[in-house]
Amino acid sequence: MSQSTPTAVILAAGEGQRLSPLTNRRPKPMLPVVNKPLLEHVLEAVIDAGIEEIVFVVGYERDRIQTYFGNGDDWDVSIEYAVQENQLGTAHAVQQAESHVDGDFLVLNGDRIIGSDAVADVHAAMDGETDAAMAVTRVPESEAYGVVTLSGDEIVDIIEKPRDELASNIINAGVYGFTPAVFDVIDATPAGPDGEYRLTDVLARVAENGTIRPVRYNGRWLDVSYPWDLLSVTGQLLDQDGGDTAGSVGAGAQIDTAAHLASTAAVGANTVVGRGSTVAANARIGPNATITRSVIFPDATVEAGAVLSDCIVGANATVGANVTAAGGEATVVTDGEIHSDVIFGGLIGDNAAVGGAATIAPGGILGNDVVVGEGAVASGTIPDGVEIRRG
Amino acid sequence: MCGIVGYVGEDAALPVLMDGLSNLEYRGYDSAGVALVDDDVSVYKRSGEVDALRSALPAAENAPQTIGIGHTRWSTHGPPTDANAHPHTDESGRVAVVHNGIIENFETLREELGDRTFTSDTDTEVIPHLIAAELDGGATPQAAVQTAADRLAGSFAIVVAIAGVDELFAIRRDSPLVVGHGDGETYLASDVTAFLEETREVTYLEDDDMAVVGDDGVTIYRDGEPIIVETEQLEWEADAAEKGGFDHYMLKEIHEQPRALRQTLSGRFDIDAGTVDLDLDLEEAYLNSVEEIQIIACGTSNYAGRYAAELLESVTEVRTSVEVASEYEFDGGRDPWRTLVVAVTQSGETADTLSAVRKAKQAGARTLAVTNTLGSTVTREVDDSLFIRAGPEIGVAATKTFASQVATLSLFAVYLGRVRGSVSSAEATTVLESIRALPGAVQQILDDEDYIREVAEEHGDSNAFFFIGRRFGHPVSLEGALKLKEISYDHAEGFPAGELKHGPLALVTPETTVLAVVTEGSNADETLNNIKEVQARGATVIGAASAGDSTEYLDVQFSVPDIGLLEPLVTNVYWQLFAYYVAKSKGRNIDKPRNLAKSVTVE
Repeated sequence: MSQSTPTAVILAAGEGQRLSPLTNRRPKPMLPVVNKPLLEHVLEAVIDAGIEEIVFVVGYERDRIQTYFGNGDDWDVSIEYAVQENQLGTAHAVQQAESHVDGDFLVLNGDRIIGSDAVADVHAAMDGETDAAMAVTRVPESEAYGVVTLSGDEIVDIIEKPRDELASNIINAGVYGFTPAVFDVIDATPAGPDGEYRLTDVLARVAENGTIRPVRYNGRWLDVSYPWDLLSVTGQLLDQDGGDTAGSVGAGAQIDTAAHLASTAAVGANTVVGRGSTVAANARIGPNATITRSVIFPDATVEAGAVLSDCIVGANATVGANVTAAGGEATVVTDGEIHSDVIFGGLIGDNAAVGGAATIAPGGILGNDVVVGEGAVASGTIPDGVEIRRG
Repeated sequence: MCGIVGYVGEDAALPVLMDGLSNLEYRGYDSAGVALVDDDVSVYKRSGEVDALRSALPAAENAPQTIGIGHTRWSTHGPPTDANAHPHTDESGRVAVVHNGIIENFETLREELGDRTFTSDTDTEVIPHLIAAELDGGATPQAAVQTAADRLAGSFAIVVAIAGVDELFAIRRDSPLVVGHGDGETYLASDVTAFLEETREVTYLEDDDMAVVGDDGVTIYRDGEPIIVETEQLEWEADAAEKGGFDHYMLKEIHEQPRALRQTLSGRFDIDAGTVDLDLDLEEAYLNSVEEIQIIACGTSNYAGRYAAELLESVTEVRTSVEVASEYEFDGGRDPWRTLVVAVTQSGETADTLSAVRKAKQAGARTLAVTNTLGSTVTREVDDSLFIRAGPEIGVAATKTFASQVATLSLFAVYLGRVRGSVSSAEATTVLESIRALPGAVQQILDDEDYIREVAEEHGDSNAFFFIGRRFGHPVSLEGALKLKEISYDHAEGFPAGELKHGPLALVTPETTVLAVVTEGSNADETLNNIKEVQARGATVIGAASAGDSTEYLDVQFSVPDIGLLEPLVTNVYWQLFAYYVAKSKGRNIDKPRNLAKSVTVE
C-alpha cells in the first residue's frame, strides 16, 4: 500500500556550466523548452501523477525559479523552497529538504524531462516494505550515467559513470522514492572523491543494507547537456506534441504546425517560422525573416529578412536585419571538449546585439552582451561582453 | 552584516548559542565567538567560520552556564582576527558585548576612555568599556547599559552580559533585534532564523527599546518605562511559501516586474503598423475633441501619472495636468465636455481618488480609470476602465504596479496620439519599440541585484537621501524617495534637479547621498551641473546612466539599457532595490511599514 499523497522533492539548485552562456544568468532548470522551463515540464509530470505537495531545492540564481513558480497557485499545488547555499551534490541537496518532508517522498531532477508514469510507478512501488524505489531505463550507451545492477526484483548496486567493461545498459533514470529513514543514511554517507555528496553513493548504501525496488521505465526521457541539445529536445517535443500559433502573426506569415509561438510573441508579415522552432513571450520577429529549427528566448528581437537555422537567440538579444546563420553541421569546442558534427547554427547570448547583415558561422557561440558590428562575421566561442567589428 | 544571539533559560546555553550561530552563518562568517555567564564571564572566540570556533570550546560538562551571548562577524572595523572577534569585554573581563552595526563616534569615545586598555581594532570595544565605567561609578547594570547606549552614535543592535548578573540587556537602533519567547527560556537574535527551531513566538524591538531578559522572561523598557510586551506568532512556513521563497513580498514583486510588464503589454499593440488597441469604449470622436487631460491620483500612482503626463504632452500634444486626488477640484473655468479625467489607483478603492472622480463626474467631465483591480469601486463609477494587469500586489510599498501603470499609460498616449493624428505611425513605432523593450531591460537591472545590494549597504547610513532628475527623471526621483521613506524611514526627498539650488542645496552635506537619473529622457547634460554642485559640498552621487555613456563624474554608476524615453522607468528598479536593501540592513518591517496601509480607504 502506498501512501495517498507523498511530497515530491525536485532538485533545481544546479548551474549547468556546460550550457554557458545560457546559464550565466539563469539556472539550468529555467532553460525554456517549447516556451516552458525544463522545470515546468518536470512539475507537470509530477502533478499528472497526482502529487500536490512539492518542494524545490534551489540554489544558483534561485530568484529566477521563485519568481516564475511562486507558491504554486498557478498550478493549483503547493510549492515550498529549500535552499542549498553551496552546491555540494545531490545527496546534500535532498538533505536540505528534510524539514519540508513528512513520510515517504519522491525525488526528481529538475532539469530532465520524464513522463508522469515514471513518477506514478515509483510512487506505487513504495509499498511500505521497501526502503527505496528507483526508476531505471535502458539506454544504448550507459557510460555517462549511473549504471544499475539488478538481481531479481532488487537493485543490488549502482555505479556512477563506470569505466570498466559494462555489466548492464540499465541506468538510473533519476526518479526515486524514499522513506524518511534515508536522511540518516545521507548523514552517514561520506563525500565522494570530488567532495560531492552524491545520491548514488547513498543509494549504494541503501542497497547494501536494505531493498531498492527497480521501476522499469521506457517512456520519454530527455536530457539537455549542451546548448544544441536544446534544439533537438525542442524539436522532439514539438514533433510529438504539436505546436501553437497563439501569438500575433502578420499577413502572409507561415507558422509550421510543429512550431510554437507564445501568446505574447509577434511574427511579422511573410515571415516563415519552420518546424522545430519556438518564439517566446514578448519576442518579436520582423517581416520576411526565415526561422527554422531555432529557439527564440523572451524579449528577443529578430529584424526583417534575417535567416536563422538551428540557432538559439538569448533573452532580450537583438538580431539585425538580414543577419544570416545558415546552420548545419559544426564542430564546437567548449571547455576544452571537442564536439564534432553537431547540428548547430549558433547561439546568441542574452542581451547581445548582432548588427545588420552580419554572418554567424555554424557553431558560433556569442556570449551575453556581445556586440557584433554590421556586416561582421562571428565564429567560434566569444566571451561575454566582447565587441566584434568588421575586419 | 553580522549575526548576534543570546540565551537565558534552564538548559546549558552553549549548544543553543552554537545552533543559533550556525543558523545565522550566512550573514557573516569571518569570525565567531560566544560568552557564557555565571559569576564570571567566559569568552571563546576565533577568526574563521563557526566550525573554527567549535575547536576552541570547552567540553559540555565544563560549560554548564545557562546564560550566554554569541556572534558571527563580517569585518567592518579591523581585520578578521581572534582579537577582533566578538564578544568584546572591558579590561576586567566582567562585561561582554556582542554588536551588529557601526558605532560612528567610537574614536571620540575611545579618546575619552583613554586610560583604559583596548585590545582590538573594533568600534565595538568602546561599549563594554563605557558600561564598565558606569558600573565603577555605582550605576545599576540596566542604568549602565542605558547610559552607554545613549552615548553611541550610529546604528547598532547590542546584547550585554555582565558577570554575576543573571540577566541579559539588549538594545537596538537601526539594526535588527528580535526576542523569542520559549518555555522557561528566552532567545535574542538579529534574525529569527537563529531560534526558529526553538520557538515561533516573537517580539520585534523598536528603535531604542531596551529589553531585559531574565529567568522569568523579558521586560521591555521604552523611554525608561516598562511597556506591555506584544508578541506575534510567526507562521513561518506558510508565510514563506506565500512569498514564493523570497524574504518579502516587496522583493518578490520587484522580481515579478518583467513578467507583469509582459502581461500589461500583451496583445495591445502592433509595432510594424504603429497601432495600439486598448479595447476602450470612449468614442474616437470624443477623444478627438478633448482639450485637456487631468490625471488624479495619490502616492505612487500620482508619480506614475506625472510620468504619463510628460509623455502625453510630448507625444499627443494634449495639455495634461496631474493633481493629487485629495486636493482635486474641478475648477479653473475648464470645459467639462472637453476634459478627460483619468483616475489612477492600484486598488481601485482609494477614497481620495474616488472622491475626486465623483467631483469630476458632477462637473460633467468624462472619466477613465487606470487600475489593477477588476470589479473595484472605481471601475463602477467611471465611464471606462483600463486595466494594468500587473497581478496581485501585497507589499504595502507599490513596486510592480508603478511600472505597469506607466507602461499602460504610455500605450494610452500612443493610442490617443494615433487617434488624434498627432503622431505618425513611424513615430508610434519608435515609442512602441521602447515600451516593448521594458521587460528585457528591467530583467537586466534585476541581474545586477548583488551590486545594488552592496551599494545600498555601503551608503545606507547617510543622514539624508536626495533623488534628482529632470523630465521623466523627475517623477522617478519622487517615486525613488517615496520608496525609501516608506520602508527604511530615512529622510529622503525627490526634486527636479534644477530645483536643488533654489533651496534644498542648503541641506546637502558630506553625509548626504544623492541619487541622480542621468539616462536618456532625463536631460542628463543639464543635470550634470547639479551633480557637480552637490559633489562640491561633499555629497556622494549614485547615478543611473544610459549604457555606454561616459560617467566618470559619478561616484557610483548604475547602467541602464539603451531603450529611449522609458529609460528613467527602468532606473526606478534600481531605486526600488536600493530602498529595499537599505531597509533590510536596518531591520525594517518591509512589507508592513509602520503607520501605513496598502489601500487607503479613508480620506
